[in-house]
Amino acid sequence: MRRIVVLLIALSLGMVGMGGVIAQEEQVLVVGLSEDYHSLDPSRAYEPGGSLVHHSVYDTLVTFPSDSVSEIIPNLAESWDISEDGMVYTFTLRDDVTFSNGDPLTAEDVVFSFNRMKNLKDNPSFLADTIASVEAPDDLTVVLTLTQPDAAILAKLIFDAFSILNADVVREQGGTDAEDAAETDTAEDWLMNNSAGTGPYMVANYEPTVQTVLVRNPNYWGEPAFFDRIIIQNLPETSTQKLALEAGDIDIAMDVIADQVASFEANPDIEVFSTQSDTLIWLLMNADPEIGGPVSDPLVQRAIRYALNYEELRFLSGEGANNPASMVPIGFAGALDPSEGFAQDLDKARALLEEAGYADGFTIDLEYPDFNYIGTEFGIVAQKVQADLAQIGITANLVPQEFQVSLDLYRNGEQGFSLWLWNPDYYDTLDYVEFLPSGVVGNRTNWTDENADSAILELRDAVKTELDPAVRAELFGEIQRWLQEYGPYAPLFQPGVHFAYRSDLQGFAYNGQWRVDLTALSR
Amino acid sequence: MALHKYLARRLLLMIPLLIGISLVAFLISNSIPADPTAANLGERAAADPEIVAAFRAKWGLDEPLHVQYLTYMRNLLQGDLGTSIRSRRPIAEELARYLPATIELATAGIVVSVVAGIIFGVISAVWRNRPIDFFVRFISLIGVSAPVFWLALIGLLILYLRLDIVPGPGRLDARIPAPPYMTGMYTIDSLLAGQWSTFRNAVEHLLLPSLVLGAFSSGLITRITRSSMLEVLSQEYMMTARSKGLKERHVILRHGLRNALMPVVTIIGLSYGSLLSGAVLTETIFAWEGIGRYAYNAARTLDFPAIMGVSMLIAIVFVVMNLIVDLLYYWLDPRLRQG
Repeated sequence: MRRIVVLLIALSLGMVGMGGVIAQEEQVLVVGLSEDYHSLDPSRAYEPGGSLVHHSVYDTLVTFPSDSVSEIIPNLAESWDISEDGMVYTFTLRDDVTFSNGDPLTAEDVVFSFNRMKNLKDNPSFLADTIASVEAPDDLTVVLTLTQPDAAILAKLIFDAFSILNADVVREQGGTDAEDAAETDTAEDWLMNNSAGTGPYMVANYEPTVQTVLVRNPNYWGEPAFFDRIIIQNLPETSTQKLALEAGDIDIAMDVIADQVASFEANPDIEVFSTQSDTLIWLLMNADPEIGGPVSDPLVQRAIRYALNYEELRFLSGEGANNPASMVPIGFAGALDPSEGFAQDLDKARALLEEAGYADGFTIDLEYPDFNYIGTEFGIVAQKVQADLAQIGITANLVPQEFQVSLDLYRNGEQGFSLWLWNPDYYDTLDYVEFLPSGVVGNRTNWTDENADSAILELRDAVKTELDPAVRAELFGEIQRWLQEYGPYAPLFQPGVHFAYRSDLQGFAYNGQWRVDLTALSR
Repeated sequence: MALHKYLARRLLLMIPLLIGISLVAFLISNSIPADPTAANLGERAAADPEIVAAFRAKWGLDEPLHVQYLTYMRNLLQGDLGTSIRSRRPIAEELARYLPATIELATAGIVVSVVAGIIFGVISAVWRNRPIDFFVRFISLIGVSAPVFWLALIGLLILYLRLDIVPGPGRLDARIPAPPYMTGMYTIDSLLAGQWSTFRNAVEHLLLPSLVLGAFSSGLITRITRSSMLEVLSQEYMMTARSKGLKERHVILRHGLRNALMPVVTIIGLSYGSLLSGAVLTETIFAWEGIGRYAYNAARTLDFPAIMGVSMLIAIVFVVMNLIVDLLYYWLDPRLRQG
């Protein structure tokens, strides 16, 4: 026994010694993140924090430029053709791509990865709802057949869940793309501490809620990344992240809140990046009179939109926040220019209320999840809405709810008048069709094919299948203007999103899909 | 009563207690008007009836409550604490990962508070109403009343950022890999593995959080020690001891402190129990992923198996702490041994 202990000590001392030598030459990037993911299986990807890992380790067929989501560019697929009816997408893969273990990428890997993602029936599986089949007629050709024309399919394919994994390796570790994958696939355990991707990095070690360590992929097919190692360290508290960044222990703070921006800007060692987030904060006005009461009346809904002071609401969320004109956030193709948005007009609001038969106003409950989302305190926003509505005679009683409780009521369509947020599921404007009748949010508002105006139903059906970008933009414009007049929502603002990093870091770029491309950074 | 009989009885009493606690934890977490489906499935998956039905079936949520409870208890009897809904990992594995972090921090915290608390308490009782007494009472008042997250942030700001004498948040520097898992406590594991630099780093990382965590209980222990000492110091046997010509130091420590310790031990036991059941705020600010954070996250996401596991664990911690306190009484007070 003693001999074993001595051996162990000697071995571990040796390891420390070796570690020391490597550490001297090694370039390490340390990222501070409030860890939100529980799995590193990309086919189960859902949380935004996980994208930092997936985007570094895996590739997708097509992608976005690192600083925008407005253009789709080639990645593993060097080109693609779309059939006239928009039902069949044929991708041609690059012929020089290898996985981190040296295996060449083949079309079979793509078929396996897509089918596995769909059949795992996990959080992102809905993204494959419009995919009828994936086939590999030869090693470098992938044919994707849809169930209906889907103008958003390429944008969906960019999400982490459509990452391409090495089929042979994942199969060896218990993975399967069969229809019963949800019950039979056991590869997740292995994918927590290993990876099987074509990206610039590989997963070296994942210690849940402590850190995720990535190392450079020696077989990467593109330009090698600068950093030898990336450590994503879990720092759940934003004030701690700030201190660690100031002390130089981390290179990037991913969860900066608006209040901290000024103090960072005064520090020459630190750069700040601020923009509006893709999160939309909005008011729900239930279309069912039994539930919504007075706010189910389109005239009242419009009056409420005119009663709000949007600039002051945005101010509550701090720096970087912005007001979208309608229910499509700024940054998405076809979103109305913010200048077309609402300006507070109390006279108009009062006149509309009178027209609706509520000259003396009314009393209503305003429900909201009582929490803070990326620096936006819902309670404070609700108070501001209450104050604005009081000016036109509407008495809003604030009803704060515990988040999960509120979420349940909202998803079941039981809230009459409430404050909510929506994050994009994928980066195509089509995601906002969910706000239209019988969409995910439409249903929660009890706004369905039965009670909706035929004009909006026609617009909705047209935009869902339209493939021509110019016509789509036009249709989205019409939909947003229609919602400004008659929709059961009030768009409030998009909160700011902020990142801070050490000034010696080069190559920082942001887009909403994966936020920061860690592989493009250098020192 | 013989000690081993007493112990056996106490341990047997744990069984009904744990059953009671499991029942209460189960009923409370199931009576919240929120659905674990919504908490654990994404926006779209939760809107898909097929996925929701599969989810409910997988986690047994489609069974009646009493069946769910009995299934849980049956598995528990076989040593199976179930699987976390949130992370899909076995609860036992997760508790084994997070509890050692908390034990390490709570132990360091209680050592700080016991040493500081007893020394301050004795000093302030012996020099009652002198300036030093007022000073100690003032400090202990701060310890008891300052919010822990404020202390933690101020501590980090001064000692970490400005003076750079303690390391930042976390149990180790980001660049230092964790020692091989033996006990889960980094200080002990690094020693066992002979990784001296890792050990040093782990100890350094413990300093500030244990000071912050110890501040509250040391304030409490100071106050209790002081009042208990004052009572003992006025007893007649103290005068007897002095009149026998014993040295003052001997009188105070052997005759005074030992007799004053009974209520102090109770407070230490309770403090240690509450430190062991996790300190969410301290753990959050210092990125110290322990039982407190685990319990918080479990509750937030309605992860029923995790909530149950952590409730049972904390119950056991308190029962064991109480048992240890009672055994200490036994040792401190000879009358109990004879009676």
